[in-house]
Amino acid sequence: MKNAALCMAIGAALLTGTAAADGFWPKKDGAAAGASHELLKADQAFQLLAAEREGNSLKVSWEIAPGYYLYRKRIAFLALAPEGARLDTPELPRGEPIQDEHEGKTEIYRGSLKADLHWPQGAAAPQRLRVSYQGCAEAGVCYPPQSRTIDVIDLSH
Amino acid sequence: MRSIILIVVACIIAAAAGYGFYRYAHEGTVAAEPLPAGLQLSGLDGKPHGFEEWRGKLLLVNFWATWCTPCLHEIPELVKLQKQYAARGLQIVGPAVDDPDAVRSMLGPLGINYPVLSGTPDSMIDIMEKLGNGPGGLPFSILVSPDGLILDRQLGEFTPAQLVKLIESHLPPAAAQ
Repeated sequence: MKNAALCMAIGAALLTGTAAADGFWPKKDGAAAGASHELLKADQAFQLLAAEREGNSLKVSWEIAPGYYLYRKRIAFLALAPEGARLDTPELPRGEPIQDEHEGKTEIYRGSLKADLHWPQGAAAPQRLRVSYQGCAEAGVCYPPQSRTIDVIDLSH
Repeated sequence: MRSIILIVVACIIAAAAGYGFYRYAHEGTVAAEPLPAGLQLSGLDGKPHGFEEWRGKLLLVNFWATWCTPCLHEIPELVKLQKQYAARGLQIVGPAVDDPDAVRSMLGPLGINYPVLSGTPDSMIDIMEKLGNGPGGLPFSILVSPDGLILDRQLGEFTPAQLVKLIESHLPPAAAQ
């Protein structure tokens, strides 16, 4: 009886040790060789939330995940509809200044971001936008420029 | 009382042995898998290229872009390694997730001494995903054996020491050349 208990205990301990090693051992296969298993996809890192119009103002907002940032100078907007719709220069808040090794002095955004858009007097209010942006993870990985088409929600009604 | 102590000691030894065996069995091994077939990239001249062109070499494929600061930081080290290890069979290839004109403008300043390819972000993201880069970020590198097996992947920059260790571990010793 004692011997059986001893055998079972040793067997369980062996399994426990192997499982522990499996959990602790960094995985080298799959996409997880570097920091990739912890990184988000671009759409999760830079969530484009909405484009909302209220009166003569249109606000486009993002939620940027902790540990990620967007470059201010790589944010752009284009009015796609209705035909002839145009946008004035977007009003973006002041970003966090950084000294980038290759970009030089530039600005970035972290956390919540809201861009304020207006259109020329007499022009039609934009109903659909193309929004472009590009950012990086602080872990030292950058994402290709993103371009999304988004319908404007009219909050005036 | 003695038998309980004996069981506890035996369990500790067995757990350590299990842990040690797993570590021993997996140390230094990477799940080598074949490079997916038929991946097509474009040269800066628009001509199609496949990774099969570099069969027989230890191939380091480094995806990069001109808008990617960590990529630009890593490239001088790759240039150095291409020069240092070319004779021992290393070939670096740099597909750029970028516009060919933007890439061309950076070749001189970066002193790139290995083939550079290019492609639209969508096509490159698709290729990188097939190569194991789920998040789609840059820089992204894969090391491919001379017979077409993926030996290693890295999303993010390599340190110079990591690169040398990785390349040395997969090339024949210098004296064997």
